Amino acid sequence: MSTNLRVFFVGGLISYRALFNWIRLYIYIPTMLGSPLFQIVFFTYLGRYSHAGNGDAFFIVGNAVQVCGMSCVYGMTMAVANERWFGTLGPLLASPANRLAVFLGRGVPVFANGLIVSAFGFGVGVVLLHFRPPVHSLPALALCVCITTVSCTAFGMVLGSIGLRSKDFFFVANLAYFLMLLFCGVNIPLSVLPGWMSVIGRCLPLTHGIEAARQIAAGGALGDVSGLLWTELGIAAAYAAAGYVFFRALEYASRRSAVLDAF
Amino acid sequence: MKVARLIWVGTRFRARELMVSRWFLLLCVLQPVIFATIAFYMFKAGGRPGTLLYAALGTGMAGIWSSTLFGSGGALQWNRWQGTLELLVASPPPFLVVLLPLTLATSVTGAYSLFATLFWGRVFFGIPLHFAHGLAFAVAVPAAVFSLGLMGLLMASSFILYRHANALSNLLEYPVWIATGLLFPLSLLPNWVGPVSWLLAPRWGIDAIRHAALGDGAVWFPIGMCAVTGGAYVVLAAAFLRIFERAARANATLALT
Amino acid sequence: MIEAIELRRTYRTTTGILRRRPLEVEAVRGISFDVAEGELFGLLGPNGAGKTTTIKMLITLLLPTAGEARVLGYDVVRDAREVRKRIGYVFGGDRGLYERLSGLDNLKYFAELYGVSGKAQRVRIEEVLELVGLTGREGERVEGYSRGMRQRLHIARGILHDPQVVFLDEPTIGVDPVGARALRSMIAGLVEAGKTVLLTTHYMFEADSLCDRIAVIAGGRIVAEGTPSALKGRVADQTVVEVEVFGIEEHDVTRVRDLRGVTAVSVEERDQAQLLTIRSPRGLELTQDIRASLDGARIGRIVAREPTLEDAYVALVTEGAE
Repeated sequence: MSTNLRVFFVGGLISYRALFNWIRLYIYIPTMLGSPLFQIVFFTYLGRYSHAGNGDAFFIVGNAVQVCGMSCVYGMTMAVANERWFGTLGPLLASPANRLAVFLGRGVPVFANGLIVSAFGFGVGVVLLHFRPPVHSLPALALCVCITTVSCTAFGMVLGSIGLRSKDFFFVANLAYFLMLLFCGVNIPLSVLPGWMSVIGRCLPLTHGIEAARQIAAGGALGDVSGLLWTELGIAAAYAAAGYVFFRALEYASRRSAVLDAF
Repeated sequence: MKVARLIWVGTRFRARELMVSRWFLLLCVLQPVIFATIAFYMFKAGGRPGTLLYAALGTGMAGIWSSTLFGSGGALQWNRWQGTLELLVASPPPFLVVLLPLTLATSVTGAYSLFATLFWGRVFFGIPLHFAHGLAFAVAVPAAVFSLGLMGLLMASSFILYRHANALSNLLEYPVWIATGLLFPLSLLPNWVGPVSWLLAPRWGIDAIRHAALGDGAVWFPIGMCAVTGGAYVVLAAAFLRIFERAARANATLALT
Repeated sequence: MIEAIELRRTYRTTTGILRRRPLEVEAVRGISFDVAEGELFGLLGPNGAGKTTTIKMLITLLLPTAGEARVLGYDVVRDAREVRKRIGYVFGGDRGLYERLSGLDNLKYFAELYGVSGKAQRVRIEEVLELVGLTGREGERVEGYSRGMRQRLHIARGILHDPQVVFLDEPTIGVDPVGARALRSMIAGLVEAGKTVLLTTHYMFEADSLCDRIAVIAGGRIVAEGTPSALKGRVADQTVVEVEVFGIEEHDVTRVRDLRGVTAVSVEERDQAQLLTIRSPRGLELTQDIRASLDGARIGRIVAREPTLEDAYVALVTEGAE
């Protein structure tokens, strides 16, 4: 029943460090860097064969941005939901710590990790697949990635909060990964998808960020994509708020009816 | 023969355990179907409608591989966690015979993904399911499944010593999809990938299944190669298990979670 | 039936987070004993004494670092397969069963592994279920079993193939007293049926009531061996004085220890007080001397009593660990 990064079971370890089990290099590198590398290569070649996009850049940008999302969604879900698994949630909630600070604080290492993974993804595109964005667009590209990483982290918070309640958090995180690959225009232009799928895609993180990044990589200016980036930020704020609300609601529910201990 | 019976019973036992888990649902139904959908739309976007069956078969096979990969490494990890790994090692039959049913069960349940993607393609994308060589197809699928189960055995036997095998499992999903030509031909890749693919059972499995369904190549040669690679895997696995079991007994890693 | 000759086992682990230093832990330091046919032999010792390591070497799951062991004449290293066919292994705790399957399915699987198949399997499974008292509950998933039921299922699994030698590693750990008593009578029943049993435990009364012979193990070594009565005899000629004190200092304890005639002193923390247990040869009247030595501290009750097997055990174990 174990599966990959998608199920960070391994452990049985009890320290907090265990939650970030993958910080050890021999686990971090295959999971956080190796997997995205091959994902980018896979979809680029599939794109070549199927002629789905207009050139490799479509797939390289799409996947290099998406992989930050992957790391954020999993990382965040893991960080929050693992508290429950290891039983540390109770003590955490019993502390007087400011909830917002705790909650957002969980997101910071995850966000940083997402940036690293995405940067690595672009590096893969440059080294292995001859991806050559115009040099002057790199800062803008970095901004797109940052904003998208923020919204994916926020989305991860929501999934993590759901995970606090249900047993199936890893299942949900995995499912979210696949569905984001499908709905967010990572490898399929949104225009090709049926209407209802592209609507879902527009409500998810990644979609607008990827679109903006693609335009920038093709030589577009930051001004042209500002609308997309603001939308992405708006989505980030919405998910962050939702995640925080769920978290507080859950905390309240658990004090009323001890649901947090039920597993 | 007692060995055959043990393999049959063990496979059924483990398959039953797998099928009631939600991981089965995820790995063998949802993941292949979602990836099939992605592939279908990519092919549609590129204007290659005739290859949707190609995509369905490829993603189905990818699902068998994912199930085998994660299931085989997972089988050991699961037993370790349940505290039953020690009991399996302590039992009389050679560990190879105990382990084989566990990995075979993962590829057998993985076969569901092939049916899932074909069904999905038929119902939601209208892919006509006309197989060029029906009989050969009916042989190709079990041959592919069996050789993948044996490949799982080889992987599991190298994972037995290494506690963090799951990290390696992560790394082997996409590369095998790429290197065995599941969703795009090997001709697109650098030349050195070809010979590597000869060693990998999924390459022969997908060739056999695809040629049987689409009628675009020899079928019996890849089926034969499934058997050959399968045999090679068993030999290697037996050697690895001897080494690793002894090392595990020397280093006491069997009981650790 | 079972022979252990100078068994040793060293574990190599690492310590430290940033710079890992290798650490060698000698868990078993030269253990030798024999178990005769039909005997119920106990390995008694505190946690961490090396009992589980010893038993795992005997059941072929761990290679000894030095020394030899033979079960039914077969060497545990060279003839592991022959050993495995003829022994049963039962351990305590919650793990070791397939949770999502029923008790019956678990037994069927292990029956196959141990070569009990076909009609004989059905008959045998019924027999062992009857023996352990799980008839009627075998269709339920193991995840719903209580600790006591799991233990019984473990025993059932361990004897499915009718082994000549059964190894039990802390079989009653965590089981409620009533359940534990039932388990013990099952274990006694195994011996009555002619099997040889090696049992590890840290419950002294369990070893006392069940075992024909006991080896007390501490710090990786056997510190005493013999029948339960022989072990009790070791302390029969002693007196134990228990003194309750409040706020005792280390130098006070040393003063008591230095008193002529005192063989051992141990201190136990109990809420606000400490309990001093002083052992001395029978006949010596040391109460006054003890009171004098503890001049500075507040003294509560003083009781002089007969030694029990527990005193023997504690004495052996604390001496052995030094």
